[in-house]
Amino acid sequence: MVQQLIGVKSMKMAELSQEAVLSDEDFAKFREFFYKKTGIMFEAKKKYFVERRILDRMMSSKCGSFREYFHAVRFESGGKEMQRLVNQMTVNETYFFREDYQFKALVEGVLPELASSQALIRPIRIWSVPCSTGEEPYSLAMYILEHWADADRFDIQIQASDIDSAVLAEAAAGIYGPRSLSRLSAAMVAKYFTKLDGDRFRISQDLRGSIDFSQGNVVEPDFMGRFRGVDVIFCRNMLIYFDETSQRETIETLYDCLSPGGYICLGHSESMSRMSSLFRPRKFGDVILYQKPTENSR
Amino acid sequence: MAFIKVGNSAASIITPVVARDHLIELLKSPDVSERRAAVRGLAAFPDSMVFLYEHLAVETNNSVRSLVFVELINHKSFAVAGDLLCLLASEDANLRGGAIEALQEMPDEMAPHVEAMLVDPDSDVRIGVVAILAALRHPKVPIWLQEVIERDPHVNVCAAAIDALAEVGEPRSIPALIALAKRFRDIAFIQFAVAAATRRISGR
Repeated sequence: MVQQLIGVKSMKMAELSQEAVLSDEDFAKFREFFYKKTGIMFEAKKKYFVERRILDRMMSSKCGSFREYFHAVRFESGGKEMQRLVNQMTVNETYFFREDYQFKALVEGVLPELASSQALIRPIRIWSVPCSTGEEPYSLAMYILEHWADADRFDIQIQASDIDSAVLAEAAAGIYGPRSLSRLSAAMVAKYFTKLDGDRFRISQDLRGSIDFSQGNVVEPDFMGRFRGVDVIFCRNMLIYFDETSQRETIETLYDCLSPGGYICLGHSESMSRMSSLFRPRKFGDVILYQKPTENSR
Repeated sequence: MAFIKVGNSAASIITPVVARDHLIELLKSPDVSERRAAVRGLAAFPDSMVFLYEHLAVETNNSVRSLVFVELINHKSFAVAGDLLCLLASEDANLRGGAIEALQEMPDEMAPHVEAMLVDPDSDVRIGVVAILAALRHPKVPIWLQEVIERDPHVNVCAAAIDALAEVGEPRSIPALIALAKRFRDIAFIQFAVAAATRRISGR
C-alpha cells in the first residue's frame, strides 16, 4: 500500500515536471512576494528559471501544486522553506575580484574620505564577513595596493571572519584553483601568487600575513563585541540568507561595530533599505554603500 | 606594505555586569551610544521589557528605537505584543511603522490579539492590524482577512485587506471579494482592486 502511494506521488511529480507550474498570474504573485522579502526582482523573461527552481522545491517538499507550495512558503513558522528557496534562487560563489566595482568605490570614494578625516591618527579598519575561503579579503588587499596611490601612507588593518572553521583554514592556506583566479590578469597572478603543482596557485606570504582571520558567528554578541571602530564592513551575500529577525539583529550589531561615518557594503542583490533605516545610502558612481550617521547625540 | 595586523580580533571584550537601575538611568543619557548600550544591557533582564517599551515613547533617536524594537522581538510574548499593538494608535508614524514590523515577526504572540484588534473603533488601528496580517506567518491570515472584507464598514480598511488577500487569498475568498465589490459598487478603486485580487487568487 505504501509503495503504491509512493508510486502515485512520484507519478504526479513526474507529470508536474512536464507541464507549466506557474500561470502568468502565479508568476506575478510569486515575484512580487519574493521581491518584498528579498529585494530580488525577476524579470518576465526569467519565468522559466524561476519555474524550474520552484518545481525543484515543490518536489523536495512534496507539494503537488504551486498554490500548496506558496502557502507553505508564505505561512511556515520559522521560514525554513523560504530560506531554501532563496538558496535555490541565488548563486553563491566566491572568486577574486567578484563585484569589483565595489572595490573601486572603496578606493576612489571611501578611502580618500576616511584618509582626509583620520589624519593618520589610527589605522583604517576594514572587515570582511563572511570571508569564506578568503578571496574577498585578499582581493581587497590587492585592489588597495594596485589602485590606491596613498596606500603606503596609511596603516590599514584587514580583518576577515567566518562561522566555518574549515573555510577559514583554506583562507589562511591561500591555495586557489583556476575558477577562483578567473578574473585576475596573468600579470596579477604572477605578481601575487606562486604556482604550485597542477593548476593550483598560492597567494604570497606577504598577503597571507596581512589578513587577520578569525572564526565566529555574527549573531553571537561576545564575538561581535570584539569588533569596534571598524571603518568599512564588507558583508556581501550573507544577510539575504537570514530570516527577518536575524537580519535586524545582525544589522544592529554591525551598526555598533562601525565607527560613526563608517560604511557597510552589501551584495548586489541585497538592499539595506529593505531591512533597516539605520543607515544613510551613499552613492559612489553606480555603487550604493550604507553609511552610519556621524552624529552621536539626540 | 600598508597592511598591519593589530590582532584585536582575538581579544575578548568583557562586558561588566551592570545593575538594572543604573541601566534604566542610562536610558536618559544624552549620548546615543550609551542609550543603545543601556537597551542591550536591559535586554539581559527579561522583566525589563516594560521599561524598554515605555522608553519608546520618549526616545527620539532612530537607532535607539530600532534597537528597542529588536530586543522586544527577541523577548516576544503575549504581553509584549499587546504593548506594541497600543502603538498603532500613536501619532508618530515612525513608531507605528516600527510596531507593525515588529509584530509581523511574532505571529504566535500576535494571533491571540487579532480578533479583538480587528474590531477596534479606530479605523487607522484596523488598517495597521491589516498591515501586520499582510506579512504575518500564520495560517489563519486568509481567514482573518476574509472576515475584514465581509464585515468592516470602512472602505480603506477593506482596501488594505484586498491588497493583502491578493497575495495570500484562497479561492474560497472570491465570493467574499465579489460581495465586497457590490457593497462598495460606487467606488472605482475597490472595483479595480477586487478584479486584480480575484485574478491573482484564481491564478488566471
